Amino acid sequence: MKYNKQALIVLLMALGINLSGCTHVEPWQRGNLAKPHMALDPNPMQSTLRNHTYSSREAASSGSSASGGGCGCY
Amino acid sequence: MLGSARLRPCKAQPKASPQSASLRSLTLAALALPGLVALPAYAADEDSVDFQYSHYQEGKRDVYGLIYNVDTQLNSVAKLPNHLKPIEVDSLHGSAKITLTDRAKLQVNYTQDTWSGATPVSTAPITIGGNRPQYKDVNPNSINHILTGASPLVGDLQGLYFDQNLNPLQLAGYDPDTGQAVVIPASKKNNDKLVHTMGTASPETRKQIDFKYSYEWDEAGVDAGAGLSVEKDYKSRFLNLAGHLDFNQKLTTLNFGFNYANSDTSAKLDPDSLQFYSTDNYDNSYYDFVEIDADGNDVWKILPKKPLVSAGEVETTYDLKTLQKTSAKLLGNRQDWSAQLGVTQILNKDALVEFNMGYTRSAGYLGNPYKLVTLISINPSTAELSSNEVLPIYGSAMTLLEIRPDERNQFNWNLGYKQYINTFNAALHLDYRYSHDDWGIKAHTIQADWTQPLGASWTVTPHLRYYSQSSADFYLPYIKTVQVYDADTSEAVASPLNRAMPKYYSSDQRLSGFGTLSGGLIVNKQFNKGVSLETGLEYYTHKGSLKLGGGGEADFADYDYWTANIALKVDLDKIASLGHSDVAYSALDSRHDHSEHSHHASHAPAGVMFDHVLSNAGDFMVGYRYVRNKQAGGMLHGNNSVNDNTVRLAGCGGKECAVTPDDMTMNMHMLDLMYAPTDWLTLMVMPQWVDMEMNMTPLTVAQTTGHNHGGAVHSHQTGGLGDTGVYGIFKLIDQPTSHLNLSLGVTAPTGDVDVMLRKTNTVPKGTLIHYGMQHGSGTWDLNPSLTYTEESNKFSWGAQVTGTKRLEKRNKSNYALGDIFQSSIWGGYQWANWLTSTVRGVYTSQGSIHGAYPPLISESTGLPLGTQHVGPVDQPKNYGGQFLDVGLGLNLGTIAGSQLSAEWLQPVKTDFNGYQLKRKGSLAVNWNIAF
Repeated sequence: MKYNKQALIVLLMALGINLSGCTHVEPWQRGNLAKPHMALDPNPMQSTLRNHTYSSREAASSGSSASGGGCGCY
Repeated sequence: MLGSARLRPCKAQPKASPQSASLRSLTLAALALPGLVALPAYAADEDSVDFQYSHYQEGKRDVYGLIYNVDTQLNSVAKLPNHLKPIEVDSLHGSAKITLTDRAKLQVNYTQDTWSGATPVSTAPITIGGNRPQYKDVNPNSINHILTGASPLVGDLQGLYFDQNLNPLQLAGYDPDTGQAVVIPASKKNNDKLVHTMGTASPETRKQIDFKYSYEWDEAGVDAGAGLSVEKDYKSRFLNLAGHLDFNQKLTTLNFGFNYANSDTSAKLDPDSLQFYSTDNYDNSYYDFVEIDADGNDVWKILPKKPLVSAGEVETTYDLKTLQKTSAKLLGNRQDWSAQLGVTQILNKDALVEFNMGYTRSAGYLGNPYKLVTLISINPSTAELSSNEVLPIYGSAMTLLEIRPDERNQFNWNLGYKQYINTFNAALHLDYRYSHDDWGIKAHTIQADWTQPLGASWTVTPHLRYYSQSSADFYLPYIKTVQVYDADTSEAVASPLNRAMPKYYSSDQRLSGFGTLSGGLIVNKQFNKGVSLETGLEYYTHKGSLKLGGGGEADFADYDYWTANIALKVDLDKIASLGHSDVAYSALDSRHDHSEHSHHASHAPAGVMFDHVLSNAGDFMVGYRYVRNKQAGGMLHGNNSVNDNTVRLAGCGGKECAVTPDDMTMNMHMLDLMYAPTDWLTLMVMPQWVDMEMNMTPLTVAQTTGHNHGGAVHSHQTGGLGDTGVYGIFKLIDQPTSHLNLSLGVTAPTGDVDVMLRKTNTVPKGTLIHYGMQHGSGTWDLNPSLTYTEESNKFSWGAQVTGTKRLEKRNKSNYALGDIFQSSIWGGYQWANWLTSTVRGVYTSQGSIHGAYPPLISESTGLPLGTQHVGPVDQPKNYGGQFLDVGLGLNLGTIAGSQLSAEWLQPVKTDFNGYQLKRKGSLAVNWNIAF
């Protein structure tokens, strides 16, 4: 199965990074990680808006089809 | 989620001196680190209120058609003038996050989008004539036509000729002797060029409200949410549940989420084109012959049937005399379930990675009710094929509603990596996403963001995104079917040429193969007082040729768009903390009465503006005002009720009215931003957004005499940015218990006054929407007002005169709204510290509209077509009047330092200019926070 193979590669990449790159970071060493621009989503309003537009224009970006956003049928 | 936790300021912060703001923010950040203090790592954001406005503008698409050349006597491909406005969307978003208890938060979001414009409806080879050139005759007898535009045709199409390999050919004409088709050979380019046929839509508005409740434990949290999205043709309800668990001293976090949505489609199909395309596959009824009656007329009846498709159905009404469809509605339901699982891992002190996977299952009617597919049925007779190979093969054309599978299973894989760049104090975010589904769509998305803080609390974030998808298995720009028949028996025969009709088909370009490239910039400025402004700009281009690995759709489907937005974020926690420290540090100076002064302002009813000023130089206020206005319940002429027949005969200025309004609702959302540069002057800026909806009933002799609204009710919606007010409010008297304010201001015509209804058969160019549904006045207006307020003990009262003077005689649509004069007087009683009730009397006088929309011009003759529209709401004389209203209001005291008030205005007396809908009253809600 082609899908599964690709998925597996992605999964292994993710695990690879997780396992190899992992060092123990003490709480007091997390200053940089705590900065606002290192947030997982530093601009949540912007990304909500952008993703809403993408999902009404692209077939695969509607991962949010189960969480509102309307029809977008134009 | 994880990141937002880190933004959360620690409640038990030490008081820092004002000079060391940067030190203080660093300390705050450090204190909020996961694992460092006993702080819930996933706590929602600070208490805040956010507003955002955004505009989406699609680029104009090229429209191609065939133009007949008199000299060569051949058609040639040409770009046609395109008058269709491309898609535009105005979106408004507001959200509030509030702390319920130490660990529980509630978030409320409201979003509203209004869109309008032209969008592709179907696709076909150019030779089929989907865009017919429109000409204006200079002289009807001359051949010197002037090309003025293109009329889109989805049906009634001419057939198409093909060569033996089924490549489309271009028809040049017919041989006068033999009557045979003469074609241009396939080798000539452009024969197979595909073109879109565009359809236009009147403005439509979607509104969505959703809630999220979050609860946090020390190393876990849950979010539960629900929402509702409503638009005219689509209603969606959704639920979601998400959670997270922290491990490994919060170096690792596990996330999960579930979503469910249940959505109904109820789409009115364009009545103009109903006769021209087939809804057979979806029809849940048909008409059948019964008998010939005594008068010799055929009698027909409507019978139910099961739609051929498994999801969705079309409900049709017929005129049984002419056997024409009068209206049709596509009904469908879909359900979506999705689940996500993910992990976030801190890699080192400068980097973290997140990995998420998601599965979405969709079932039910998954189509787009407005997308059609061109079907070309080729029936070559065996005789023709064998005996004369040069004869072109004819294919007849028809148009169908698309059919998609009733199920979709989609998988997503996301990998995100965030790296802090020490050299620049910047953050690099890289995200990759792979998505595949059982429709055959495989998509890759890669995105990069660079967030760069600059000095003075400015942050800029450039971003770049690339997306590529393969086409769905059932995507076809148009369908060719071939069925070979035996010339003698007319029966289908087995032939290698046969091409059956596919089970599923769609020409929606969103399902084609393409790539997109987009990029933009976000600029954020954080102000000291807990307010930040953010603006974003993005350009996006969609091209078949950008598809990864090539093989994307041809360039006819290419388009681009840009979006721009501006957002205001108010951090309530920060304002509250600053407010307290101000009091603590300067208990003796005049700021002490700041809160009392603001408190004083809360005595005026919610519908009154300009009563409130800021106390001290440097003060800010952010507020939100909402006004809802409704008219319904029959028509008045002056102050007398009139029936439909009177409206029909007299309501449209000498012409017969074809429609009468049933109801009209207007919503206004306003931002109220104030700043005091000096103690005696407050500056105020008020951008506003409007949306309106009007339902109308056709007026015919039969209906009006029988008083029976039997005709189809149709509705018009519109919405978007309204006019923007800029005011200066001067304190003329500023005593502890009495105040007199003079406000001078102008409103800038930022609201559109050229909103159009879509093109129809009768009005091919489209018409301007009713005056009362345009978004603004279209003129620069002057707004002076004088407000006096006084209070004594628990009583307060006030009076105001205010007016609107149009500074221009005509706006760009050739009219000007009437001037307004308004006076109010009110009284209030304070029942408790937090509760005041108010009573108000309001007198309003507004003139009728001056000027009128320019008359419609016929495209073919260049002569006026008469006035626009057909209802009383399209007559300039039927606007304005004199009104008396009584208002009852409640003002709630301080909630987290802010004030909330509401007022209902009940009409008492109405004297309209001309014929207008009865007034039902208006609701005003006002929230503000000063700091």
